[in-house]
Amino acid sequence: MKLRSIIVLTFLFSLAIQGMAQISWKKQEAVDNLPLQLFHSPQSINLPTAETLQKGDFEFEISHRFLPSIKDGSKNLYGFDGPVNMRLALGYAVTDDLVLTLGRSNVDDNFDLRGKYRLLQFKETFLPLLVGVQFGIAKNTQPIRQIASSGRAYQYFGQIIFNTMIDKKLGIGLVPSYLYNSNIYRADVQNSFTLGMNLQYYISNMVSVLAEFNPTVNGYLNRFNSAAFGFELETGGHFFKIILTNNAKLNPAQFLSGADKDFGNGEWRLGFNITRLLKF
Amino acid sequence: MRKILFVCLLISVEFFSQGTELHVKQGSKNHVEFISDAPFGKFSGVTENIDGYMYWEGNNYTTNSSLYFEVDLKTLDTGIGLRNRHMRDNYLQTDKFPDASFKGKITNVTPAAQGPFKVDADGEMFIHGVTKYIKISGVLTKSGNSDYNLKTNFSIKLSSYNIDIPSIMMVKLSEVIELQLNFNLFSVNKAEGKK
Repeated sequence: MKLRSIIVLTFLFSLAIQGMAQISWKKQEAVDNLPLQLFHSPQSINLPTAETLQKGDFEFEISHRFLPSIKDGSKNLYGFDGPVNMRLALGYAVTDDLVLTLGRSNVDDNFDLRGKYRLLQFKETFLPLLVGVQFGIAKNTQPIRQIASSGRAYQYFGQIIFNTMIDKKLGIGLVPSYLYNSNIYRADVQNSFTLGMNLQYYISNMVSVLAEFNPTVNGYLNRFNSAAFGFELETGGHFFKIILTNNAKLNPAQFLSGADKDFGNGEWRLGFNITRLLKF
Repeated sequence: MRKILFVCLLISVEFFSQGTELHVKQGSKNHVEFISDAPFGKFSGVTENIDGYMYWEGNNYTTNSSLYFEVDLKTLDTGIGLRNRHMRDNYLQTDKFPDASFKGKITNVTPAAQGPFKVDADGEMFIHGVTKYIKISGVLTKSGNSDYNLKTNFSIKLSSYNIDIPSIMMVKLSEVIELQLNFNLFSVNKAEGKK
């Protein structure tokens, strides 16, 4: 080998090294640390979704159910003349996975304190799955009728929430629920087991339609299984739902015991939920 | 003959080690902030997830220089969970475009004997699937034996990157977003690494 060719080769070699390996920085493999999020709102109509808030977020809720059914027509302005059941609530995210909510309804002046915890997430499965649990205690501070003992003013409930979503558009929820002391006016303690289910289809970034069915599978049922449907508007900080339902109760301990109207007979009532995210 | 080969190899290694290469130092309180200052309210998205490198050869910083920085947009935190989600899903579409990046070269350095000096760069800004040619200036400070700090501020227009300005937001978004970056780098050069 001639000296010159070696030098040329070396020069080419060094250029090659420079061209190939002059920069040692490598792009890191992307890791997806984001929590799985399916439904947009932490709540369907009455049933919870497994969604929580970000740590430190507050959520204020005001919801109404107008008691006259729309079947009564313009005489009661389709329900707007009232009377009305209402719920006010404030939730706070203690962590990214735990939300505590204190609520009050004007029905029997029912206060409830509930905690919802995002338990499990499965991102890589055929369909994503999010599992949450919710537990609550409610006290009816001013029952309109006599109750047997002061202990009967308390109600307890627990719910397991299974959520999935198809193609980021169709959210599906299954919410087996248990309520202890379903009817505070009955002499004996009643339990209710229900199998709540909810669907929500997201038409656009802002608009979705949703429906809910909460059949009682075992135990006490007020009169009818609850059903509701409506639409949801979503903005930067609000969820605004306008719905029709046969169950005018709002607080979970009261809602889970069933409806007093028959939707099979067209006895739907107007209602709305407004939630507002707050950060202080 | 072997000696010559050896010398040539040394020369090539010497060539190789001439460049200075800086990498972003992870976990060093890096700060990237996107600021929207609209008439009805100011808010910002913050992340510390920036990565990338700067490279140059010789002493004038511009020879064979290149730089690349990328910011993980999925981790931008505006302080409110729902707003983060809207930003990711509706506006930045981070499923498709997880990073914003800048790839370019150093065009000019205003030297200083000691302390910070100004670095001008130009290249391609990539956000939301759109690439734009821009010029950025920053201040590079040598903060330790092989440590550096880089600060830069500049603005981008959302419409230039096909990002819709949300019409109904809790806080209105500004059309011009100001970026503030302040992050740390370290030199990966072998010579310095041995010290």
